Amino acid sequence: MLQCTINGKELEVKPGTTIIEAMKLIAHEDIAHYCWHPGLPVAGVCRLCVVEIEGNPRLQIACNTQITDGMKITNQSEKVKEAVKWGLDFHLINHPLDCPICDQAGECELQNQYMKFGKYDSEMAEPKVKKHKVVDLGPRVVLDSERCILCSRCVRFTDEVTKTHELGIFNRGDRSEIGTFNGRPLDNKYSLNTVDICPVGALTSKDFRFRQRVWFLKEHQTICTGCSTGCNVKVSYNKEGLFRVKPVYNEQVNGYWMCDEGRDVYKYVNKPARLLDAWMTTAGRGEWLHPLTAAKKVGEFLRAPENKGKSVALVLTGQHTLEEYEALISFFKNEVGTDRIFHWVNNPESMNDFDGLLIRGDKNPNTKGLLETLERHGIKTEWKELIDGLSTGAIRTVVVAGPENQAVYPDFKAKVLELSKAQKLVWLTACKNEELERLQGDVTLIPLKTYIEKDGTFVNYAGLRQTVKKGLTVVANAMSLVEVAEAFKGVDVRPEEAPFKVGVGRVNNEATLQRGSL
Amino acid sequence: MSLVQRPKPISKWYLPGILSGLGLTFAKMMKNLFIYVKSGKHTVTYNYPEEKYEYSPRYKGNHVLTVKKDGSLRCTACMLCATNCPAECIKIVAAEHEDPSVEKYPISYEIDILRCVFCGFCEEACPVDAIRMGPEWQTPGLNGSQFVYDIKQLAYRPQLKGGIVSVVDEEERHRAGI
Repeated sequence: MLQCTINGKELEVKPGTTIIEAMKLIAHEDIAHYCWHPGLPVAGVCRLCVVEIEGNPRLQIACNTQITDGMKITNQSEKVKEAVKWGLDFHLINHPLDCPICDQAGECELQNQYMKFGKYDSEMAEPKVKKHKVVDLGPRVVLDSERCILCSRCVRFTDEVTKTHELGIFNRGDRSEIGTFNGRPLDNKYSLNTVDICPVGALTSKDFRFRQRVWFLKEHQTICTGCSTGCNVKVSYNKEGLFRVKPVYNEQVNGYWMCDEGRDVYKYVNKPARLLDAWMTTAGRGEWLHPLTAAKKVGEFLRAPENKGKSVALVLTGQHTLEEYEALISFFKNEVGTDRIFHWVNNPESMNDFDGLLIRGDKNPNTKGLLETLERHGIKTEWKELIDGLSTGAIRTVVVAGPENQAVYPDFKAKVLELSKAQKLVWLTACKNEELERLQGDVTLIPLKTYIEKDGTFVNYAGLRQTVKKGLTVVANAMSLVEVAEAFKGVDVRPEEAPFKVGVGRVNNEATLQRGSL
Repeated sequence: MSLVQRPKPISKWYLPGILSGLGLTFAKMMKNLFIYVKSGKHTVTYNYPEEKYEYSPRYKGNHVLTVKKDGSLRCTACMLCATNCPAECIKIVAAEHEDPSVEKYPISYEIDILRCVFCGFCEEACPVDAIRMGPEWQTPGLNGSQFVYDIKQLAYRPQLKGGIVSVVDEEERHRAGI
């Protein structure tokens, strides 16, 4: 171990630690850095992380200087502040004043740095170098070359992490630009990470572009439900709904990155995709009901002596939490008295695929948790039994806890057709679907909460238990499976709501529109 | 520091107060009748609503969205006005413009004028002189929905005669190298 002093604080670090890594270990130590990223190799091009080392006549960059024994480092001296200020001036020489239309404004390192160290008037008399604006780099990313400060983070990302080598720096001097060779698009499964690591607004996401200013957004940390990896993510939301997903560092699971598919997962949480109330068909006539009423009616039906027993089947997907499985399975085992509980596997062929970085073929966040719970209850069934039971009439009632993320269920339509043979079909689903709405006969749809609206535990592919906390409520009446199980038992449950409600409050100037005419 | 002017004891008496008030009214009436009308000057009172008083251009009345020289909206949809608005009465929906030099523009810009407190913070926050507060203030409407002003009303209402041109010109800025 090596002894060193950083800004007067004694520290012991492993050999090979760079100064910037050591500074990150100390709380409240702040150092500017654009090109250095903990998940990428060192480039040392931005020259803003300069520090003063005692006995060294020149300032050194913290990201590429390893600590030696007894080193005394400071980044608080006047000399360092002066160097950072003028370094920033060089970065801003050709940087356009685009902040009003730049999506990065509000979370931009350059803005923060300028407010901290800069606040000068530019001393450049020459006009700024004009470069390409709104360059379509690929299906998900847009480039603005003028805003780029050539930190090369994105280039290093495609070189070192995805190893697809799409991006490069072209031309020389102040005409240098990020670009792709010969119009080849930036099209890999992790391309939006380049947008995250871009310290300025040069790379922007097509999906999020211009939809919100970042200071209107709140953040909530949760788990990505796009596949069984279970990346740690944060979603940005406000009163109008969810807007984007960004990765959160977790060394055990995803490191600093996440895939592009996972960033689309928020879309089914927003209100337009959701089932808002329960739909129940009784005696050929359908009606919209409060979910609790519908769930209690279904519960009464299931618990009635003539209906309970082996004629009831439960179908589960790997998209819900451990607590929910436990509640629902124990209700069906103990109160209904059936062990016909089936696991709906969406893509059995590609279940064990893995692309070597993060994306897994199992597109459910909690398949492992479901299998664990089924095993603990001693349930062993095969899908074929359900189909046979339906065709022979041995199974009359089917309750399905359907997938939240229907996009990753290519067999959704086929399964709906198979299951609609049941005399009574109860489908618990968070999102609405045309196939379900088209169903005839005795069908009940009950709206469920999505992963963002409930507390629970997901078990990822490696058996790691990760908890999610409820962050916001999108559909006020929706229930979690725990609450559905309680309602099935006949209990008046009040669905737990998160304090933040989407769509409630001043969104659309409703007050004036409802005032009526004079 | 302002000193509170306490009323003199005499003004608390009934008759002196009422008589001085009547005297003022009578004097004004006489002045209107014999001096202003004869000399052709304006009288102190107006025949509202046929005659309207012209407010100073600096008056902070109803909002105006300025336009560029080609007549399109100056606003870049940066939403600083909506951020700064203490009454939360501005609602903007931004979109991508097909011209890369414009890049971002508002497809919808709504001001709920009944919620507005006319503080002028939107005008102050705007980086491109896209929103101003004009001298208009008499804007009645028949029902609530007429008080949510959209782009058509804010930028191209007939009183503006085709729109007010912003002082910030993008091309000039480009030429100056900003």
